[in-house]
Amino acid sequence: MTASAAAGAIDARKTYGVGDAAVHALDGITISFEPAKFTAIMGPSGSGKSTLLHCLAGLDALTHGAVFIGDTHLASLSDKQLTELRRRSVGFVFQAYNLIPTLTARENILLPLMLGGESGDEAWIDQVVDTVGLRNRLSHRPDELSGGQQQRVAVARALANRPTIIFADEPTGNLDSNAGNEILTFMREAVDRYGQTIVIVTHDPYAAAYADRVVFLADGKIVHDMADPTADSIIDRMKRIGH
Amino acid sequence: MMLTLARRSLRARLGRSIFTGLAIMAGVAFVAGSFVLADSLKSTFDNLIDGLTGEIDLEVRTELTVDDLDAVRDPLPDTLVADVAAVPGVKVAEGGYARFAQMLDKKGKPVTTQGAPTLGVSWNPDSGLSGVELKDGRAPQATDEVAIDKATADRVGYVVGDTIRVVLKDGQHDFTIVGLVGLGNSDGFVGATTVVWDPVSAARWLDTENTVDTIDIKVADGADVATVQDAIAAMLPERTEVVTGEQIAEETKDQVGEIVSIFGTGLLIFALVTALVAAFVINNIYNISISQRLRELALLRAVGANGAQIRRLVLTEALTVSVVATVLGMFGGIGVAKALIVAFDAAGGGFPDTPLLFKVRTGVVAAIVGIGVSVVSVLLPSLRASHIPPVAAMRPDVGFSALSLSQRLVRGTVLSVGGLALFLFGLFARPGSGSQWGLLTGAGALGIVFGVTSLSALIARPVSRVIAAPIARMLGVAGTFARDNAARVPRRTARTASALMIGVTLITGAAVFTASLRDTWGRILEQGTSFDYIVLDSESFQPLTPEIANRLEALPELSAVSPFRNIRAQIGGSTSTVTAVDPVAFPQLANLDITAGGFDRVTPADGVMIYRSAADDLGVGAGDVVDVTWQNGKQTRLTVAGLFDDNSLGSNWFISVGLLESISTQVPTDQFVVAKRADGVDAATARQAIDVAVADFPQASVRSNNEFVAEQKARIDTLLFLVTLLLTVAIAFSFLGIAITLALSVFERTHEIGLLRAVGMGRRTLRRSVRGEAVIVTLFGALIGVALGMLFGLAFSYAVPDNVINGITIPYQTLAFVLVFAVVAAVVAATYPAIKASRMNVLAAIATE
Repeated sequence: MTASAAAGAIDARKTYGVGDAAVHALDGITISFEPAKFTAIMGPSGSGKSTLLHCLAGLDALTHGAVFIGDTHLASLSDKQLTELRRRSVGFVFQAYNLIPTLTARENILLPLMLGGESGDEAWIDQVVDTVGLRNRLSHRPDELSGGQQQRVAVARALANRPTIIFADEPTGNLDSNAGNEILTFMREAVDRYGQTIVIVTHDPYAAAYADRVVFLADGKIVHDMADPTADSIIDRMKRIGH
Repeated sequence: MMLTLARRSLRARLGRSIFTGLAIMAGVAFVAGSFVLADSLKSTFDNLIDGLTGEIDLEVRTELTVDDLDAVRDPLPDTLVADVAAVPGVKVAEGGYARFAQMLDKKGKPVTTQGAPTLGVSWNPDSGLSGVELKDGRAPQATDEVAIDKATADRVGYVVGDTIRVVLKDGQHDFTIVGLVGLGNSDGFVGATTVVWDPVSAARWLDTENTVDTIDIKVADGADVATVQDAIAAMLPERTEVVTGEQIAEETKDQVGEIVSIFGTGLLIFALVTALVAAFVINNIYNISISQRLRELALLRAVGANGAQIRRLVLTEALTVSVVATVLGMFGGIGVAKALIVAFDAAGGGFPDTPLLFKVRTGVVAAIVGIGVSVVSVLLPSLRASHIPPVAAMRPDVGFSALSLSQRLVRGTVLSVGGLALFLFGLFARPGSGSQWGLLTGAGALGIVFGVTSLSALIARPVSRVIAAPIARMLGVAGTFARDNAARVPRRTARTASALMIGVTLITGAAVFTASLRDTWGRILEQGTSFDYIVLDSESFQPLTPEIANRLEALPELSAVSPFRNIRAQIGGSTSTVTAVDPVAFPQLANLDITAGGFDRVTPADGVMIYRSAADDLGVGAGDVVDVTWQNGKQTRLTVAGLFDDNSLGSNWFISVGLLESISTQVPTDQFVVAKRADGVDAATARQAIDVAVADFPQASVRSNNEFVAEQKARIDTLLFLVTLLLTVAIAFSFLGIAITLALSVFERTHEIGLLRAVGMGRRTLRRSVRGEAVIVTLFGALIGVALGMLFGLAFSYAVPDNVINGITIPYQTLAFVLVFAVVAAVVAATYPAIKASRMNVLAAIATE
């Protein structure tokens, strides 16, 4: 646990229900994410990977343990401070339903900034827009964009306020492989060029292969932590866990 | 940002915004319309009255000690006109009078007025003192010439040059119409039909017996009005007064204001009911639309919007709609007022040309209602929205926690029980003034409605299953789906039904109350009367000329005939109606249930029969004396001739016609005349004889006892019809609410419907199941409404005195009709959502997640 970690969790536990019906979605997870690294979290359905992501991002609360973003422990924050944190320090990319249907692409990208009443860094926004290649689609509504384009808008939105860390929940889950590869390439670039920290949850070993590190979860516990993964090494590991 | 979002969201959900806006608009338009109409009428009448009395400096009239609309002033001897004219400083003194004159239409039928008087007046166009103005033709000059009011002429189809037949107190006469007149700038006489003669002919035809009602005075130029007033006062006989034109105007304005405000309040109550129903419907729409936008709102939370921003977003949307709708509703209110005036005019109102008056107060109240309705409707939904956890963006099943079952149970029970206690306390204990306990009762009733709405969500599932059982059997698979969908979100079912529930509650309550009132009234009349025939004006409700009673008394076919003639008087500190009858005939015509003394001690010189409870209030019994101050100021000490227990004919005091005539010189008119057939005369013969005797007076209807009772009962049923009519808008909105809720829930179930269609459900079955669901929700609301309405109806029936309602009648037919109507309306309301569901593209529907 280094002081310089972008985010992390200590003995994170999340339990649904009580007594015999209790389900331990997270069963004592301790992990930290280095800055400017791309991490993938993998695991079978019900392994707790999405729950971990939600708790790390401050969208959901732990039953026990602690979560921090930068130097901030989330448990100590009020709802107002949590909202502030989500707006300033965390970016989030969802699998689907990730844009406000009534706003244009540009408005969606600027949404977190505008919610905070900030105008943002124009040059940076321009750079982000160009990176994701949306320059000529900015005035379109989500329903006028393809799935890949919509997800690019979502990535641009997450990048817009230069958060400490970006979480992405199955960002390529609804996309064909071309569009998926594009999104992952953008993410990889964001990490390499701008030093952005990114954590994604995915089922897809080829998507996970874009990461610097893959963490395998099963039954709410970390079962393996792999550095510099390749698609083959990931598939191999998945077979052994019994994916 | 929130503003942009709100604006976009409103545009994206335009249809829903328009509907919500319409519901608010209707409520506002009704409320504003009630105020605009009342204010405009008041102001128009005030101007009219100012115009009419403006030229009059002073007026001489007899005193009236009883201050109400039922009291009538005694006339003045016409010799007084010349005496007043001789007073120094008087320029013109003109006697005026208005007496009975019933116009007949071209078919010989009486021209009816719905309760306004049928007048004959004299008109001297040269004096400048009369408010009558010529609209067409010329002023009448000869004995056989008349002018009539233009409003009536237009309504009935008379033009200048026509011959008109007029019923006067001695029979029918023909006249030539030479002119059409109106009051001031209006075409009518505020609803009264009016026949106008020149002063000489008027005195002859109206048979004024050398009397006038008032003497209008114009003082000489330069004379001081107060000095002249004092000089006239000094020469007047006793119980006669001289007042200024301003005072007459003020008195008349007060009387008109009283009538207009009763009328306005009545409209306002229905306007507020409409607003309440609109609030329920809108609340439901917001609740559903927030459930549907759950993901969108959670997403906003996830990217950093705080709760306050979400709340602001939802409130901004609602306020935008409501402000626009409120402004439009205010214009709508002007339209409503205009439409009502047109409707009244078509019914013979003869309203003056009414410029509509929109006061600041009207705008304020309309804004409070319009914006209040939407704030109240959206407040809870917006609070719920602001508590949506961000994680719901990914996991919609997390959603927001609704009020838990136990919270709902507690809240609903507290509201219902508290409301019931308040309602019963207000209704039966009646603390404070009328408006205070009325408010208490109303607040209690509202509490019950809210409480039951809250509780109804708890029983929506089981009850809708019970209601659905026969429907499920009837419709097969479609019925099963209808049942399951209705039971699926009990809170929604309950809320959708609640708007309808309010309307049905009011109709049921009114139906139970009026049915009980009607049957009690029928029973009272059957027990309280023993006459065979009654003669009355059943169209215009005007009193009859005494000539009718005279003619009936002359018939050998009748053994007993009595008029029923009223006068107002102060007795023991309160104002009462005293009725003069024929003391010999009357006991044979009515069952007064006399318990002490009798009519044999009622003579033209003395004697009054008193209703027992009125006598108890005064602390007098048979043989004691009571002091009576009559409406004209005369005072009499009367001996109590006897006591009676049944006052169903509406009077607590009976004296003889002879006594009345010795007290008051007012023009005698009879409310009605009752008669009994002589022994040995068969019904047909007697009826024939009466019909012939009153043939000269076609406004007088002859009714047998049974016919009379039936007619009276039918009149009360009309009341119920009127109440129902005024609730129509509210009911229509509750059905539109059902339609839109169904459409929204169909939209919500797109994926599921797609699946059903994909596995082989037909369009017909789908449509049927949507219709079935509508019927179940409707019946749920209607049944609760009937139950609540019964409660209210019964409570009110028990609360009123026994001589108003002494037994409960449940109007099963009406209630059955309400339920059948509700089902039919539900099927109609489901048409659009059903079509929408069945036209859904199967593949696209499945793709939607």
